[in-house]
Amino acid sequence: LADLLNLCTSGQLSFVHQFVSPLLKKDPFTTLPDELCLRILSFIDDPKVLARASQVSRRWRDLLSDDMTWKNLCLKHDYQRRLSEVQPPPTHPTVTPGPEAQSFGRQDEDSMGQDVSGALTSVSLPATFEGSANARPVLRSYKSHFKQRYLVDAAWRAGGQNVSRNITQDGGVVTSLHLTPKYIIVALDNAKIHVFDTEGNALRTLQGHVMGVWAMVPWDDVLVSGGCDRDVRVWDLSTGACLHTLRGHTSTVRCLKMSDANTAISGSRDTTLRIWDIRTGLLKNVLMGHQASVRCLEIKGDVVVSGSYDATAKVWSISEGRCLHTLQGHYSHIYAIAFDGQRVATGSLDTSVRIWNAQTGECQAILQGHTSLVGQLQMRGGTLVTGGSDGSVRVWSLERFCAIHRLAAHDNSVTSLQFDDTRVVSGGSDGRVKVWDLKTGNLVRELVTQGEAVWRVAFEDEKCVAMALKNGRTVMEVWSFSPPAEML
Amino acid sequence: MSADKSTQKVTLTSNENTTIEVDRVVAERSMLIKNLIEDLGDEAVVSSPIPIPNVNDPVLRKVVEWCEHHRNDATQSADDENDSRKKTTDIDEWDQKFMQVDQEMLFEIILAANYLDIKALLDVGCKTVANMIKGKSPEEIRKTFNITNDFTPEEEEQIRRENEWAEDR
Repeated sequence: LADLLNLCTSGQLSFVHQFVSPLLKKDPFTTLPDELCLRILSFIDDPKVLARASQVSRRWRDLLSDDMTWKNLCLKHDYQRRLSEVQPPPTHPTVTPGPEAQSFGRQDEDSMGQDVSGALTSVSLPATFEGSANARPVLRSYKSHFKQRYLVDAAWRAGGQNVSRNITQDGGVVTSLHLTPKYIIVALDNAKIHVFDTEGNALRTLQGHVMGVWAMVPWDDVLVSGGCDRDVRVWDLSTGACLHTLRGHTSTVRCLKMSDANTAISGSRDTTLRIWDIRTGLLKNVLMGHQASVRCLEIKGDVVVSGSYDATAKVWSISEGRCLHTLQGHYSHIYAIAFDGQRVATGSLDTSVRIWNAQTGECQAILQGHTSLVGQLQMRGGTLVTGGSDGSVRVWSLERFCAIHRLAAHDNSVTSLQFDDTRVVSGGSDGRVKVWDLKTGNLVRELVTQGEAVWRVAFEDEKCVAMALKNGRTVMEVWSFSPPAEML
Repeated sequence: MSADKSTQKVTLTSNENTTIEVDRVVAERSMLIKNLIEDLGDEAVVSSPIPIPNVNDPVLRKVVEWCEHHRNDATQSADDENDSRKKTTDIDEWDQKFMQVDQEMLFEIILAANYLDIKALLDVGCKTVANMIKGKSPEEIRKTFNITNDFTPEEEEQIRRENEWAEDR
């Protein structure tokens, strides 16, 4: 054969080449067993490649509809399935933003790891279950889950739709913003609390406070609020009715959190924390010990931690009503606190952030780098994100107690920040809202058209809300990153 | 425990009854052979050839060549596996050259690596195929592997629309 080929002209050889080369080619996916084909696909992490490959032939399409490939891709892109997608929704509400959301985040990861077989079932529950469970879980395939998350991600990067609404005719300061599964709730220093549906349509205004509202916490259809008039009020969000007015604080209520559906804890400039039964409207306990205004608090289980202008933080037992530890070390006012049940993080006017062991009360680390007041912080898993009056946002590793990213975020103060597994959203008194990639620290985009100041930002998977001052008016911008229904 | 494990030789027999003599450490890149040696004991293996009934002579020689080159690589533990697989499809230069074979041979190597349980070789093979798929349109993929488009025009249009979301937006 070699001799024969040697006699050929180049034209003939070219013909032979054209003839032979396809014969040397072979479809790997018909040659190899499924298991190995899927292994090959597991090395592809670009959905575009997979999407194109599924258009090659029927065999390729069938292989690429295998959910394990998409599950891998979900893992590689950190697209965890929400717990609510594989299980019925939890009976108590998630309150965002806050530490409550953190625990859910971790459960999500767990369910991701375990859930192998469940992924393939895109069917609804058997008919026998229909009577008992009124909210049927939507079990989606990993492919559709991936597609959904991919499109949402793309919209976060460049896209999404936003509506903008004037909240006041003048420029009231927004002191608090909460997103819940049912509502967007906004509190202002003009004594009003505005309640919107999740699209941003006004539902009602809660009126009763006579001075600025400085703290509030929603729980399902209940809202607890407090402010300069020293009252703590309990509201029914579905009707707008004020259920209780809780009196006792002798100065401004500065912070509020709930430990369960019946219990709210308020912190005040009168140096005390008060534990309220909001069903009965009765005071259950007064926690005394701080020497100055209680500025911030956080609850996990039976433990509440409080940060004060007296430069200390305290760890309290809610049921026993006593102080377990006093966290001493800061040189100046504490403005922000985060607590995950194990660790306490405090941000102070002395420009440092301290990490404390909640069980022993010892200071584990001092995180330095901010050059001004640290007024914003959130802790989630092994990550802490802080924002300061120096305009910078810092992402810290709590394993190594060091800064992972230092973001020159805003020209002026960072007024608000939140982060999840994917992104950090920060708002500043420079009027900008910025979205950052948590992993790389890169700026993803700016969200609002710039105004004079951003008071508050909050976000969920597919939504972001910013409260800003624009042209002298307080404006709410609601961004949606949900893909249009016809694309799913 | 024999002290000279590193110099021990074993003989492998392909399905064409040809034999290849290799260092025992080289053969033990294959978990299948390693476990076999452990099960049967040193004596039995050193004295008689190990049959590899699923692999033909050229492929077996190719696999042995790879094992020779990688004889000193640290074996991957099960824990490492996820991490290293998460990494991109980087293939080192020697392996890239090694994998420049016709597709028939490439797929045979993958099958043999799978059968012999040589995870690192299996991954190199799979990555090589994955790289042949990347960056190509469906038609280019068909050309690469000489695949017939068996979709009807309607099906093709439908599946194109189903996958539009992943294209650059």
